[in-house]
Amino acid sequence: MSKLKYEKPVISKITAGVPNKFGLPAKQRIISEIDGIPVPDLMEEYGSPVFVLSEKTIRDTYAEAKQAFETRYPKVQFAWSYKTNYLDAVCNVFHDEGSWAEVVSGFEFEKALSNGVNGSNIIFNGPEKSEEDLTLAINNNACIHIDHFDELYLLIETTRKLNKKARVAIRINLDAGIYPIWDRFGFNYENGEAWNAINRIMLADNLEMIGLHTHIGTYIMVASAYAIAASKLSNLYMAIHRKFDHWLKYIDLGGGFASKNTLKGAYMPGSETCPSFDEYAEAISNAIISSEIPHENLPVLFMETGRALIDDAGYLLTTVLANKRSTAGRRTMVIDAGVNLLFTSFWYNLGVFPSKEVSTHVEESTIYGPLCMNIDVIRDAINFPSAKTGDQLVIERVGAYNMTQWMQFITFRPNVVMIDLEGKAHIIRRKENLDSLQSFEVKPNK
Amino acid sequence: MKITEEIKISDNGFVFNSKTGDSFNLNPFGLELIKQIAEDKDFESIRDVMLEKYDVDDLTIEKDFYEFYALLKYHQIIAPGDPLDFK
Repeated sequence: MSKLKYEKPVISKITAGVPNKFGLPAKQRIISEIDGIPVPDLMEEYGSPVFVLSEKTIRDTYAEAKQAFETRYPKVQFAWSYKTNYLDAVCNVFHDEGSWAEVVSGFEFEKALSNGVNGSNIIFNGPEKSEEDLTLAINNNACIHIDHFDELYLLIETTRKLNKKARVAIRINLDAGIYPIWDRFGFNYENGEAWNAINRIMLADNLEMIGLHTHIGTYIMVASAYAIAASKLSNLYMAIHRKFDHWLKYIDLGGGFASKNTLKGAYMPGSETCPSFDEYAEAISNAIISSEIPHENLPVLFMETGRALIDDAGYLLTTVLANKRSTAGRRTMVIDAGVNLLFTSFWYNLGVFPSKEVSTHVEESTIYGPLCMNIDVIRDAINFPSAKTGDQLVIERVGAYNMTQWMQFITFRPNVVMIDLEGKAHIIRRKENLDSLQSFEVKPNK
Repeated sequence: MKITEEIKISDNGFVFNSKTGDSFNLNPFGLELIKQIAEDKDFESIRDVMLEKYDVDDLTIEKDFYEFYALLKYHQIIAPGDPLDFK
């Protein structure tokens, strides 16, 4: 006689909590494969944990964003935000789709050049630009976005030394009706600082002013904030034309579009609340088109969207190491991926899913990473089915920032794999090892 | 290992603790386990019954049993043993 199927014994307390109109999902979602490759196959080949990126999702998301803007505005150009994910394979997909590069440091600038981006197609943002960085940018005819007066004067000095012209735009911070106002980047619009900077640039012999830039914040959930920003930049654009008889080439609205991840403390899931590309595009295009700018002089609209273009394409595959009960009886689970790999777990409730059918019993659980540190919490509270040691889980929407802000701590950073359009997986960043890490170290000679 | 007197267990896995007012749900395997505990069986005999009936190994049974047992104690479903049992 065959034996009956075993299931872990469970007792759960019945609590009458605050009524929740959503309730629990009828069925636990499972992510068993990525772009046609089963999760166990990926983990067997590339280890655990492992980051997996879907080229198809990157290209599809990019196409969606591009279509949203190009159907509403005549001249649009995306520039890939390197800091969001600067793995060469990722950057090259965006460049292949037509994106310029948006960089914020000398290192990123050099990376963009090494990826074959023409220097004149690089936007150089950020508050840190050394004389060496500026020289590199000037020699490559990049668009330098000036962040503050000290940088402006350093740039003037550098162009004099090189006896070359620099193509510049200024970064403008402004009140777009949202809190907090990001006033740390660039020159302020409302108090006239931006206008003063523009006047100084227009008088400089070696500076060619070609654009205006703003970056109103990150994970902006109100599309109308972009409309306010676009309308203020359009006003400056016209003011420059009136005073200097000079048409700028572009307006750059920066990045900051929300991805579909859910912020901690949010009542509704991000996939329900975040504006779509169409909503952002509608707000921005409408504000510029309905400004005073004559149609024949409309600027190119630059977008530096990062997070919203790559987050969905990234997965982290991980393994359950242990199940425990806290002293309060709460179920806790330890997985082999910690906050050192998942920087975004500090502000998102990341989606964690089993990779195969598991128990139908769902219990509120805490998911810890493997680090020997108390802060290593991937999810404080998640309704999760019981999973056994060795079960494989998938964490979704981790494509943005995690692969640039990750830390090498206690263990090695894992393989990063990209699945191409034919459904083949390729390592795009190898797992670190002792030799690779020790190659940076030097023992002093005694 | 004794189920507290105030605990009432229905055949469909509903548990009520009249002392604390708490109620609980058991999955079928949890129900089977708690019934055997109520019959005053010790772990070894419960394990042998389960190994005979279910497709499971002894270590998994042991691990799951003690986790389940800890939860029963936490929810005051199992009466605490006499701390002076050496007397």
